[in-house]
Amino acid sequence: MDLILVLSKAFWCGWGAIGFGILFNVPPRTLFALWIGGAIGGFLKFTLLQLTVGVVFASFVGATAVGMLSIPIAHFRHVPPMIFAIPAVIPMIPGVFAYRTMLGLIKLTGAIGPDYTTIMSDTVNNGVKTLFIIMSLALGVSVPMHVMRQESAKNIRLKIK
Amino acid sequence: METTKKSEAKELGALLLDVGVSLLSSGASCSRIRITMRRFAAAYDYQAHVSIAPKSISLTLNDEADTPLFNGMLSTPAQGVNFKTISGISRLSWDTVENGLSIQEVKDELQKLLNLPHYPRLVILLFVSLAGSAFCFSFGGKPIELLITFGATFCGLFTRQEAVKKKFNPYICVFFGSLVASLFAGAFIKAGLNINFEHAFATSVLFLIPGVPLINSFTDLIDGNILNGLVRGINALMFAMAIAFGLLLAMLIYNLK
Repeated sequence: MDLILVLSKAFWCGWGAIGFGILFNVPPRTLFALWIGGAIGGFLKFTLLQLTVGVVFASFVGATAVGMLSIPIAHFRHVPPMIFAIPAVIPMIPGVFAYRTMLGLIKLTGAIGPDYTTIMSDTVNNGVKTLFIIMSLALGVSVPMHVMRQESAKNIRLKIK
Repeated sequence: METTKKSEAKELGALLLDVGVSLLSSGASCSRIRITMRRFAAAYDYQAHVSIAPKSISLTLNDEADTPLFNGMLSTPAQGVNFKTISGISRLSWDTVENGLSIQEVKDELQKLLNLPHYPRLVILLFVSLAGSAFCFSFGGKPIELLITFGATFCGLFTRQEAVKKKFNPYICVFFGSLVASLFAGAFIKAGLNINFEHAFATSVLFLIPGVPLINSFTDLIDGNILNGLVRGINALMFAMAIAFGLLLAMLIYNLK
């Protein structure tokens, strides 16, 4: 396993999260937490990918970790959990798969040639991956709240001494 | 007595609609909007019944005996993403519950919140461009591709901001952003630089990805707000199409296959 590569990818995922945090105008007090969240999510995702786990499940694990983290952060930084969780999972959005899907769909509008079925199966594969990764990100982010069965993170008591 | 209660309900109702509409136009999920409005109403011993449409919110305020005292509806201005508003309103709602602010005080605080400044434009541009490079790196980009993505994101986001200022249709703003970003990235490929086509193109438009509508769409669906979830999902899809059209036009212009 290439630990250095994974760590540097995680490091940059943190910066990706901060960039989107600033684009979404998050309160400045959450920026550092965002870096940590993005980096931890990215670290888990890329570690699992190195261990040849599927990309959908790897993204789900990363997003769930971010979702779990979002509750203590909500307490310490006094923000709703989603303010932290959404920018932190954005680096895991499958941009390349979405891009390949779009390109594949456009190619499918052309004439039917010998490689048409290959393009079609590639496009479906990429599209389904994109859809499922995004679903797993949204699910992962909201899992902790649903597990705790609370409407607000404020009602979840933390046992930290 | 009866009339003071009615006028209070009227004032609170208008305030709650303002709160809800500010949340809806800043990118909050439906359950958050509903919970926050109910929390405010409960702080003043009212029950709020809220219905959230894609571009408007309607509200009925009942007293403890469930007699309706206020009916109202408010439509939203242009929708964007502003998490400072969402977190500010969340704090304000808890402040109201715990410290018993008066309606006037909440109104003033809300006004202050809505006027909070964004980050400076240059900071936004630089950090989002940095985020673009970060994505490029995580997809396996080389240093030269990182630089190209940085530049492309910078130009693309600048164009989008200008288009938003000129009040173009939001999808067209994204189309312009995507077109300029991919024209920038494509120029280097056309110039014969030996770079990975996919890294440069796919990551230079990533800053336009409608992440908040996408995630909110699924959040709403899970919470049972199916209609709102579908609307948000289709909205996100339209943005994705706008990105794709910008990209394709750039590829057509450069005659890249």
